[in-house]
Amino acid sequence: MSAVPAQAPDRRVELGKAREVCPTLTRREAGEGALVVDVRERDEIARVAFDLPEVVVMPMSELERRHGELPRDRDLIMVCAVGERSLKATYFLMYHGHDRVANMEGGIAKWVRKGFPVRGDASAAVAVPAEGCCGEVKPAASNVGCCGA
Amino acid sequence: MDVKVLGSGCSNCRTTIALIEQVAKARGVPIELQKVEDLQQIMSFGVMSTPGVVIDGKVVHAGGVPGREKIESWLAGAPA
Repeated sequence: MSAVPAQAPDRRVELGKAREVCPTLTRREAGEGALVVDVRERDEIARVAFDLPEVVVMPMSELERRHGELPRDRDLIMVCAVGERSLKATYFLMYHGHDRVANMEGGIAKWVRKGFPVRGDASAAVAVPAEGCCGEVKPAASNVGCCGA
Repeated sequence: MDVKVLGSGCSNCRTTIALIEQVAKARGVPIELQKVEDLQQIMSFGVMSTPGVVIDGKVVHAGGVPGREKIESWLAGAPA
Protein backbone atom coordinates (compact mmCIF):
# COMPACT_ATOMS: atom_id res chain seq x y z
CA MET A 1 0.00 0.00 0.00
CA SER A 2 0.89 3.66 -0.19
CA ALA A 3 2.77 3.07 -3.36
CA VAL A 4 2.24 3.59 -7.01
CA PRO A 5 0.36 0.54 -8.26
CA ALA A 6 2.17 -2.01 -10.39
CA GLN A 7 0.25 -0.83 -13.43
CA ALA A 8 0.88 2.80 -12.64
CA PRO A 9 -0.72 5.15 -15.11
CA ASP A 10 1.90 7.23 -16.81
CA ARG A 11 -0.30 9.69 -18.55
CA ARG A 12 -3.46 11.70 -18.25
CA VAL A 13 -6.19 10.85 -20.69
CA GLU A 14 -8.93 13.34 -21.46
CA LEU A 15 -12.12 11.41 -20.81
CA GLY A 16 -15.55 12.33 -22.11
CA LYS A 17 -18.60 11.92 -19.95
CA ALA A 18 -19.48 8.28 -19.41
CA ARG A 19 -22.55 6.95 -21.14
CA GLU A 20 -25.22 6.06 -18.59
CA VAL A 21 -28.11 3.72 -19.23
CA CYS A 22 -31.14 2.83 -17.14
CA PRO A 23 -32.03 -0.75 -16.13
CA THR A 24 -34.70 -0.94 -18.83
CA LEU A 25 -32.23 -0.06 -21.58
CA THR A 26 -29.63 -2.36 -20.01
CA ARG A 27 -32.05 -5.26 -20.18
CA ARG A 28 -32.85 -4.49 -23.80
CA GLU A 29 -29.22 -4.05 -24.84
CA ALA A 30 -28.20 -7.23 -23.00
CA GLY A 31 -30.79 -9.03 -25.09
CA GLU A 32 -29.21 -7.56 -28.19
CA GLY A 33 -25.69 -8.72 -27.38
CA ALA A 34 -24.28 -6.28 -24.84
CA LEU A 35 -22.24 -7.88 -22.10
CA VAL A 36 -23.18 -7.01 -18.52
CA VAL A 37 -20.18 -6.77 -16.17
CA ASP A 38 -20.94 -6.93 -12.46
CA VAL A 39 -18.23 -5.21 -10.41
CA ARG A 40 -19.69 -5.98 -6.99
CA GLU A 41 -17.63 -8.19 -4.70
CA ARG A 42 -18.31 -11.91 -4.75
CA ASP A 43 -20.03 -12.04 -1.37
CA GLU A 44 -22.50 -9.41 -2.55
CA ILE A 45 -23.21 -11.34 -5.72
CA ALA A 46 -23.70 -14.53 -3.72
CA ARG A 47 -26.58 -12.82 -1.91
CA VAL A 48 -28.33 -11.48 -4.97
CA ALA A 49 -27.39 -11.55 -8.63
CA PHE A 50 -28.75 -10.24 -11.90
CA ASP A 51 -30.79 -12.94 -13.59
CA LEU A 52 -29.51 -12.51 -17.11
CA PRO A 53 -28.27 -15.14 -19.54
CA GLU A 54 -24.75 -13.76 -19.51
CA VAL A 55 -23.08 -11.73 -16.79
CA VAL A 56 -19.32 -11.40 -16.28
CA VAL A 57 -18.28 -11.15 -12.65
CA MET A 58 -15.32 -8.84 -12.29
CA PRO A 59 -15.26 -7.27 -8.81
CA MET A 60 -13.63 -3.88 -8.37
CA SER A 61 -10.93 -5.59 -6.34
CA GLU A 62 -9.99 -7.58 -9.46
CA LEU A 63 -10.62 -5.04 -12.19
CA GLU A 64 -7.13 -3.57 -12.40
CA ARG A 65 -5.64 -7.03 -12.77
CA ARG A 66 -8.29 -8.55 -15.03
CA HIS A 67 -9.68 -5.78 -17.23
CA GLY A 68 -7.71 -7.16 -20.18
CA GLU A 69 -10.10 -10.12 -20.23
CA LEU A 70 -12.99 -7.90 -21.26
CA PRO A 71 -13.80 -7.84 -24.96
CA ARG A 72 -13.38 -4.66 -26.95
CA ASP A 73 -15.61 -5.77 -29.78
CA ARG A 74 -18.80 -5.86 -27.71
CA ASP A 75 -20.82 -3.27 -25.88
CA LEU A 76 -20.14 -3.48 -22.14
CA ILE A 77 -22.56 -2.37 -19.45
CA MET A 78 -21.03 -2.01 -16.02
CA VAL A 79 -23.29 -2.71 -13.04
CA CYS A 80 -22.98 -2.69 -9.25
CA ALA A 81 -25.14 -2.06 -6.19
CA VAL A 82 -26.23 1.53 -6.75
CA GLY A 83 -24.27 2.63 -9.80
CA GLU A 84 -21.30 4.35 -8.19
CA ARG A 85 -18.59 1.71 -8.33
CA SER A 86 -19.69 0.78 -11.82
CA LEU A 87 -19.38 4.42 -12.91
CA LYS A 88 -15.80 4.38 -11.65
CA ALA A 89 -15.22 1.10 -13.47
CA THR A 90 -16.69 2.61 -16.63
CA TYR A 91 -14.24 5.51 -16.52
CA PHE A 92 -11.40 3.09 -15.74
CA LEU A 93 -12.16 1.11 -18.88
CA MET A 94 -12.50 4.32 -20.89
CA TYR A 95 -9.05 5.31 -19.61
CA HIS A 96 -7.77 2.00 -20.94
CA GLY A 97 -9.24 2.62 -24.36
CA HIS A 98 -12.63 0.94 -24.24
CA ASP A 99 -15.04 2.98 -26.32
CA ARG A 100 -18.04 0.66 -26.10
CA VAL A 101 -18.72 0.89 -22.39
CA ALA A 102 -21.61 2.30 -20.39
CA ASN A 103 -22.68 2.50 -16.77
CA MET A 104 -26.05 1.27 -15.55
CA GLU A 105 -27.28 3.99 -13.23
CA GLY A 106 -29.03 2.93 -10.04
CA GLY A 107 -27.40 -0.48 -9.86
CA ILE A 108 -29.14 -3.66 -8.82
CA ALA A 109 -31.20 -1.67 -6.31
CA LYS A 110 -32.94 0.14 -9.15
CA TRP A 111 -33.09 -3.06 -11.19
CA VAL A 112 -35.04 -4.70 -8.36
CA ARG A 113 -37.29 -1.68 -7.91
CA LYS A 114 -38.17 -2.01 -11.60
CA GLY A 115 -39.26 -5.58 -10.91
CA PHE A 116 -36.56 -7.09 -13.10
CA PRO A 117 -35.42 -10.64 -12.31
CA VAL A 118 -32.70 -11.51 -9.84
CA ARG A 119 -31.38 -14.72 -8.35
CA GLY A 120 -31.21 -14.81 -4.58
CA ASP A 121 -32.58 -12.46 -1.99
CA ALA A 122 -34.00 -9.40 -3.73
CA SER A 123 -34.29 -7.57 -0.41
CA ALA A 124 -30.48 -7.68 -0.17
CA ALA A 125 -30.31 -5.53 -3.30
CA VAL A 126 -32.15 -2.61 -1.81
CA ALA A 127 -30.69 -2.79 1.70
CA VAL A 128 -27.85 -0.29 1.81
CA PRO A 129 -25.46 -0.83 4.73
CA ALA A 130 -24.50 2.23 6.74
CA GLU A 131 -20.84 1.40 6.30
CA GLY A 132 -19.66 2.09 2.78
CA CYS A 133 -16.65 2.66 0.66
CA CYS A 134 -16.20 5.77 -1.43
CA GLY A 135 -19.83 6.52 -0.81
CA GLU A 136 -20.82 3.12 -2.13
CA VAL A 137 -22.00 -0.15 -0.66
CA LYS A 138 -18.91 -2.18 0.09
CA PRO A 139 -19.48 -4.98 2.56
CA ALA A 140 -16.70 -7.12 1.17
CA ALA A 141 -13.75 -8.13 3.32
CA SER A 142 -11.24 -6.94 0.77
CA ASN A 143 -10.53 -3.25 0.54
CA VAL A 144 -8.38 -3.50 -2.54
CA GLY A 145 -9.52 -0.99 -5.09
CA CYS A 146 -11.50 0.92 -2.52
CA CYS A 147 -10.72 4.49 -1.57
CA GLY A 148 -8.02 4.55 1.03
CA ALA A 149 -6.97 1.02 0.15
CA MET B 1 5.52 22.60 -8.08
CA ASP B 2 2.03 21.59 -9.11
CA VAL B 3 0.46 19.07 -6.73
CA LYS B 4 -2.94 17.48 -7.20
CA VAL B 5 -4.62 15.26 -4.63
CA LEU B 6 -7.19 12.99 -6.24
CA GLY B 7 -10.02 11.80 -4.05
CA SER B 8 -13.67 12.02 -3.25
CA GLY B 9 -13.15 14.08 -0.10
CA CYS B 10 -12.80 11.12 2.27
CA SER B 11 -10.84 11.46 5.50
CA ASN B 12 -7.70 9.91 3.97
CA CYS B 13 -7.82 12.52 1.22
CA ARG B 14 -8.10 15.35 3.73
CA THR B 15 -5.24 13.89 5.77
CA THR B 16 -3.10 13.61 2.66
CA ILE B 17 -3.71 17.24 1.76
CA ALA B 18 -2.88 18.37 5.29
CA LEU B 19 0.33 16.32 5.35
CA ILE B 20 1.54 17.66 2.02
CA GLU B 21 0.82 21.21 3.15
CA GLN B 22 2.70 20.61 6.41
CA VAL B 23 5.76 19.13 4.73
CA ALA B 24 5.86 21.82 2.05
CA LYS B 25 5.65 24.52 4.68
CA ALA B 26 8.31 22.88 6.86
CA ARG B 27 10.70 22.62 3.91
CA GLY B 28 9.82 26.02 2.52
CA VAL B 29 8.78 24.55 -0.79
CA PRO B 30 6.22 26.60 -2.68
CA ILE B 31 3.51 24.36 -4.04
CA GLU B 32 0.29 24.87 -5.86
CA LEU B 33 -2.08 22.33 -4.30
CA GLN B 34 -5.29 21.39 -5.98
CA LYS B 35 -8.00 19.02 -4.77
CA VAL B 36 -9.56 16.98 -7.54
CA GLU B 37 -12.85 15.51 -6.39
CA ASP B 38 -14.69 15.01 -9.66
CA LEU B 39 -14.73 11.31 -10.57
CA GLN B 40 -14.31 11.93 -14.28
CA GLN B 41 -11.23 14.06 -13.61
CA ILE B 42 -9.83 11.56 -11.08
CA MET B 43 -10.24 8.71 -13.51
CA SER B 44 -8.54 10.70 -16.27
CA PHE B 45 -5.34 9.84 -14.39
CA GLY B 46 -6.26 6.13 -14.37
CA VAL B 47 -6.21 6.01 -10.59
CA MET B 48 -8.50 3.42 -9.04
CA SER B 49 -7.45 3.74 -5.42
CA THR B 50 -7.60 7.09 -3.73
CA PRO B 51 -6.17 9.29 -2.48
CA GLY B 52 -3.94 9.69 -5.47
CA VAL B 53 -1.18 12.25 -5.71
CA VAL B 54 -0.04 13.82 -8.96
CA ILE B 55 3.07 15.96 -9.04
CA ASP B 56 3.78 18.04 -12.10
CA GLY B 57 1.46 15.82 -14.11
CA LYS B 58 2.87 12.48 -12.96
CA VAL B 59 1.03 10.06 -10.70
CA VAL B 60 3.37 9.35 -7.79
CA HIS B 61 0.97 7.69 -5.39
CA ALA B 62 -2.36 5.87 -5.31
CA GLY B 63 -4.19 4.40 -2.34
CA GLY B 64 -3.80 5.22 1.31
CA VAL B 65 -2.22 8.15 3.12
CA PRO B 66 1.38 8.60 1.97
CA GLY B 67 4.08 8.66 4.64
CA ARG B 68 5.84 11.87 5.54
CA GLU B 69 9.16 10.53 4.25
CA LYS B 70 7.61 9.81 0.90
CA ILE B 71 6.18 13.31 0.68
CA GLU B 72 9.56 14.74 1.62
CA SER B 73 11.16 12.77 -1.20
CA TRP B 74 8.63 14.18 -3.67
CA LEU B 75 9.35 17.71 -2.59
CA ALA B 76 13.11 17.24 -2.29
CA GLY B 77 13.82 18.16 -5.88
CA ALA B 78 11.74 21.30 -5.86
CA PRO B 79 13.39 24.71 -5.76
CA ALA B 80 12.69 26.47 -2.47
